[in-house]
Amino acid sequence: MDLTGLIDVLQRYVFNIANIQGMLRLATPIILAGLCALITDRAGILNIAGEGMILFGAWFAVAGSYFFESNVVGLIGGILSGLLVGGLFALFSLKFRANIIVMGIAINIFATSATIFLTRAVWHIAGSFSDARIQGFDPINLPIIKDIPVLGPILSGYTFPVYLSWILIILTAIFLYRTPWGLHLRAVGENPQAAETLGINVGLVRFLAVMASGVFAALAGVYLSLGHLQGFVDNMAAGRGFIGMAVNTFAGGAPLGVFLSSLLFGFVDTIGFRLQAERIIPIYFISMLPYLVTLAALTIFTVRHQRAARVKMQKVAAEKAAA
Amino acid sequence: MASVTASFTKSLQRNMGYLFKRSLSIILSILLAVLVGSLIMIWYKQDPIEIYKQLLIGAFGSPRGLFITMQRATPLIFTAISSTLAFRTGVFNVGVEGQFFIGAITATFVGYAVHLPTVIHLPLTIFAGFLGGAAWAYIPTIMRQKLGVSEIITTIMTNYIATFLISWLTNYPMRATPTVAETPFVQPTATLPQFVDINPLIGKGTQAHVGIFLAIALVAIMYYIFKRTKLGYEWRMVGLSSLFSEFGGISLNKTFIGGMLISGGIAGIGGAIEILGVWRKYKDLFALGFGFKGNLASLLGGQTILGSTFAALFYGGMESGSLGLEWSAGVPRQLIDIVVGLIIFFMAAEGMWDLLKRVKWARAGEPVRRTTENLEV
Repeated sequence: MDLTGLIDVLQRYVFNIANIQGMLRLATPIILAGLCALITDRAGILNIAGEGMILFGAWFAVAGSYFFESNVVGLIGGILSGLLVGGLFALFSLKFRANIIVMGIAINIFATSATIFLTRAVWHIAGSFSDARIQGFDPINLPIIKDIPVLGPILSGYTFPVYLSWILIILTAIFLYRTPWGLHLRAVGENPQAAETLGINVGLVRFLAVMASGVFAALAGVYLSLGHLQGFVDNMAAGRGFIGMAVNTFAGGAPLGVFLSSLLFGFVDTIGFRLQAERIIPIYFISMLPYLVTLAALTIFTVRHQRAARVKMQKVAAEKAAA
Repeated sequence: MASVTASFTKSLQRNMGYLFKRSLSIILSILLAVLVGSLIMIWYKQDPIEIYKQLLIGAFGSPRGLFITMQRATPLIFTAISSTLAFRTGVFNVGVEGQFFIGAITATFVGYAVHLPTVIHLPLTIFAGFLGGAAWAYIPTIMRQKLGVSEIITTIMTNYIATFLISWLTNYPMRATPTVAETPFVQPTATLPQFVDINPLIGKGTQAHVGIFLAIALVAIMYYIFKRTKLGYEWRMVGLSSLFSEFGGISLNKTFIGGMLISGGIAGIGGAIEILGVWRKYKDLFALGFGFKGNLASLLGGQTILGSTFAALFYGGMESGSLGLEWSAGVPRQLIDIVVGLIIFFMAAEGMWDLLKRVKWARAGEPVRRTTENLEV
């Protein structure tokens, strides 16, 4: 195959506008799950309940949208469930001193069963539920921007939660680095004793951080059930809560980093869809991709991280020896 | 001598006090969860007392119910013990689910592809399950020990990979019939007999099998290892404080890796035994959740060997009871998972039971102790 042939293949299957759009779309739940992990991580809490919070968010968004035939109520329902689950999680693990990992494991398994139960109890359906009454989010064409060549189709034409995730990335960055509250949060995460000495209410900051993480995760659920699909599917979070944790690890707790590393997963998902249509390899291996990529990326990231740390140590040692 | 006896009695009293408080909080947790469960049932327009009664009668009220309970509890005992071993060594192995099913599929393969006399074939097949489960636990273990990657993310990822890998295996290379995605039957030399095979009167109408004896043997062995051997001591100590253990001369690497691989292996044996005893072939997605329920049972049992065994039996009983309930009253069986989850939430929330203490202190006129323990998460 010559070079033009290769470029042609790459353009057709990998780098085209449809794929970039797919990447940005499918990155959305990962971005929001990443923010869920980020906000608790920066407060010094290991929150592994993101997966369960996403499921509850997705279910309550569908319920709100179904009963009121309004996507706004769906969104509100999702957010309220995030506040509720986040609040209960914080109450039990922070106030009642339940082991936070035990609580996280239990909530994730609980959420799977509870949402299946609720679907069966409310709509008498098992597996997946969709209905004409569920109002999802329609694509929004941004005025002016949509007419710009190339950039227009890349930036315009997504559903509301996609834009919301971008806005939340920016807001989180501003909050973390430009507001006193963000400073408090980071202080609590880095050294809770020192923060307490400074008069920061460590317990309160952590409580609010967990509640915020509940809202972020619930929004990921809202996107899945009202933005991506229009309905609820059992276990529809599909490990995204944990991929969000991985994404936050790559980003080192930085919002922009979360956005960029989420794009990788959006890209992998999109390529998966293309490969699926081509029927080159069995679908099961394509479905495995996001999880394999998470493992591979975690490995590569940690190896590089450790190597960098070692080089730095050696440098410091050399400088000391020279002095 | 007298002083020794006195101190012994004193420590016994203190322990009894702790045990009493702990069992009180467990009983209250169960009551509270049952209460919340009742509210859900009332919302579901069902009579809670009737439902709970049927659950218990279905699970423990008849010989048939008891045999179904036994059959349901068998795999859960394996996954619960597997989780407990990992949790106690300080590893949050939430990959028991994947390890269970990989163990099941490797055992299925050895079960149908190899021809040997029973004496060799059956142990070999079960050992294949052990190897499968241990191999599946290997990658997350190494990633944690060598790279420091949290095992919670990696074990969950391997669960998903296991599900899709097995779907591919049962759909393509190991598929027996063009109509259904399932493997051939395992050879009769590798199956574990069901009670009805031995005597048609025992366990009639159930699939309960002799695997339960293997489960009990496992519990006995693990209990002995934990209580009486150096290995068990090292596992427990590493789980309590890894730094202290290393200082005391325990090799952390060896203990962690060994504990995690054996944990995966036990889950794999559970998968093997479920296939050899109940299904005798691997049908794609024949059941899910054995591993997660094992995680829950371990947490329910306070992460002790005996506790998680009883929790697994209890969980199996509730599943057996909910089967009948689903048929007769149309109550989704997930309700059981909800109630079990609630019990765990309330049990784990130690601080919630401080309220009881506070009331007592207040009555005694003592000031309420304010703790900063919740600062350290």
